[in-house]
Amino acid sequence: MSRYLIRRVLTMIVTLFMIALLTFCLMHIVPGSPFTSQKQMSQAVLDALNAKYNLDDPLWKQFFDYMRGVLHFDFGPSYKYTGKTVNDFIESGLPYSARLGLVTLCFVLLTSIPMGIVAALRNGKWQDMLLMFLATFGVTIPSFVIATGLLYIFSFKLGWTPVYGVDTWKGYILPMIAMGGYSISFLARLMRSSLLEVMGQDYIRTARAKGISEVRVIWKHALRNALIPVITVLGPTIANLLTGSFVIEKIFAIPGMGGYFVNSVTQRDYTTIMGMTIFYATVLIAMIFLVDLFYCLIDPRIKYE
Amino acid sequence: MNEQNRWERVSGDAGEAERIYRRSRTFLGDVWFRFTHKPTALFGFILVVLLLAFCLIGPVFTPYTYSEQNNKLASIPPLLKVYPGPAEGSNLYITQGLKLIEVDDEGHLIRQLKKKKDDSKAKQTSFTWDDDTLVYLDYSRLPNTVLDRDGNRIETAKTVWNRTYLLGTDQLGRDILTRLMYGTRISLMVAFIAALVNMIIGITYGGIAGYLGGRTDSVMMRIVDIISTIPLTLYVILIKMCLDDGLLSIIIALSSVYWVDMARVVRGEVLSLKNQEFVLAAKTIGSSTKTILFSHLIPNAMGPILVTVTMLIPSAIFMEAFMSFIGIGIAPPMASLGTMCNDATETLRTNPYQLFLPALVICIIMFAFNFVGDGLRDALDPKLKK
Repeated sequence: MSRYLIRRVLTMIVTLFMIALLTFCLMHIVPGSPFTSQKQMSQAVLDALNAKYNLDDPLWKQFFDYMRGVLHFDFGPSYKYTGKTVNDFIESGLPYSARLGLVTLCFVLLTSIPMGIVAALRNGKWQDMLLMFLATFGVTIPSFVIATGLLYIFSFKLGWTPVYGVDTWKGYILPMIAMGGYSISFLARLMRSSLLEVMGQDYIRTARAKGISEVRVIWKHALRNALIPVITVLGPTIANLLTGSFVIEKIFAIPGMGGYFVNSVTQRDYTTIMGMTIFYATVLIAMIFLVDLFYCLIDPRIKYE
Repeated sequence: MNEQNRWERVSGDAGEAERIYRRSRTFLGDVWFRFTHKPTALFGFILVVLLLAFCLIGPVFTPYTYSEQNNKLASIPPLLKVYPGPAEGSNLYITQGLKLIEVDDEGHLIRQLKKKKDDSKAKQTSFTWDDDTLVYLDYSRLPNTVLDRDGNRIETAKTVWNRTYLLGTDQLGRDILTRLMYGTRISLMVAFIAALVNMIIGITYGGIAGYLGGRTDSVMMRIVDIISTIPLTLYVILIKMCLDDGLLSIIIALSSVYWVDMARVVRGEVLSLKNQEFVLAAKTIGSSTKTILFSHLIPNAMGPILVTVTMLIPSAIFMEAFMSFIGIGIAPPMASLGTMCNDATETLRTNPYQLFLPALVICIIMFAFNFVGDGLRDALDPKLKK
């Protein structure tokens, strides 16, 4: 276990380093300097800007300086907004994004797992058909279509929910559904097939033969085992939710990190893109690691060599 | 057989009973049979054919181009609410910019009326119908309406289908139907090319890793592991940023990240196939590694590869729409379904049809390819069927 942990942490560090390096390289092979814009600037101004942001250093030195900053949680200044740093964007956006992400994750888990269970227990009946039909919709309709559709119906036509922002709890409802739609459908389908498979196992027959009540068979014997594949994909699901927030935050005008990221992408604010990418990647990899650890704890059969 | 005829001589043609009259089906015939006997798969396939016809043949039949703008006829919906006009058989449509357009009974847009005078006190605007007739538009209270000869508000409007622009126009006055055709074409093209490139990279990478095995395999797969932990959306966006705006850069961005799954699938297949006798036979007659890999192993792994490719197409379409939607997709005036959705979000409240039409097409494409992918998986490998 401890050897596995050490290896996992090491690969995590290597992955993060690779991501930082790749991002750095990509952002430096972009044609033109970060200050290329409509306004023509004199050479002296450009030189001064380059010197201010240390862009006249050799590339490897820039990378090292940047990495040193990143290790101290300092992602450097924004090139487009004077006086703002990338940290400012993260600090102001993170609370909103994290709250929305957590609410959505809870919502996804609380709906998809019961959906999958009901569909599996009523296998082939109308409940199953209906739920799996809904799940097909969730997987095929892009989140921004769901989001704008919901916005039009519930905010514009019916006026039940606010059009933008998350000042009240009502503001979370639509973003939550739109963001979670894909994950709910995916997890519900997975839960259904995994529970169906478990229900056909010998130990379930044994449990029934012992005369245990059906509720107890499902709750104590089937469900615990059926949940394992669902937990396996939780890491990628969280990744999906986080990157999905880019459009959702844009549509619902939520002042989260996703909105800042999209803005920085369209405005070509390179340091912000770089910083946010590394931040996102770190969060995701940490999440996947935590899920794996949890997975390791709940399923003692898994032996990591 | 019953007791009485047990000892009877069998007739000469008894061997016929053992003969198989049906011609044996080839593997492909089998796949085709299973595919066409699954309703959803067949439905998906028909949808794909219809979509291809829509985007390839469709533009021949429309009189418009994707970039032709007509600012006078901007944001005209597909269903027009018209009020009776002064002449027989003529109707008036009030645009969102409070202008009047003459529409005939069938729904053809005839002309835009010329504004004469705007009386902002009475909240009425007069338009010249012909030399001696004026038409009044009343916007004093909602709904805006036209005044009849006696100066009364006409409250009853009838609805006609817009025959000039079948699906209406967008906020720059471009025909939505034509743009949908070109948008579908772009989306499908991006998806097909990206899927093809991913397939080639994935097959080569996974094939080499799986066949050579050993240290090469572990190094190559470690790289794949690292790449797959990176959130793809982020990297597609970053790669797209480094390239200019254009179709090619989207294709490159999509092609450079999605091959990972394909490589894994191919490697797995090659690993399980490479110890079989036919590979050994090929080795004994001295075939080169390249021949063994590409003419013996890969054709045998074609089933899972095809399934992965069909599943890749919807994700590529989704990604293209996603990028266009956040504003780094294809450059205007070229249409893509994602850019059309993005443009329409600004005027969602007043012109919902501008968003729902491209969104509907995206959904149809996604449905079609998901159905085809599912059907193909079941047809190629019935064991996988849930």
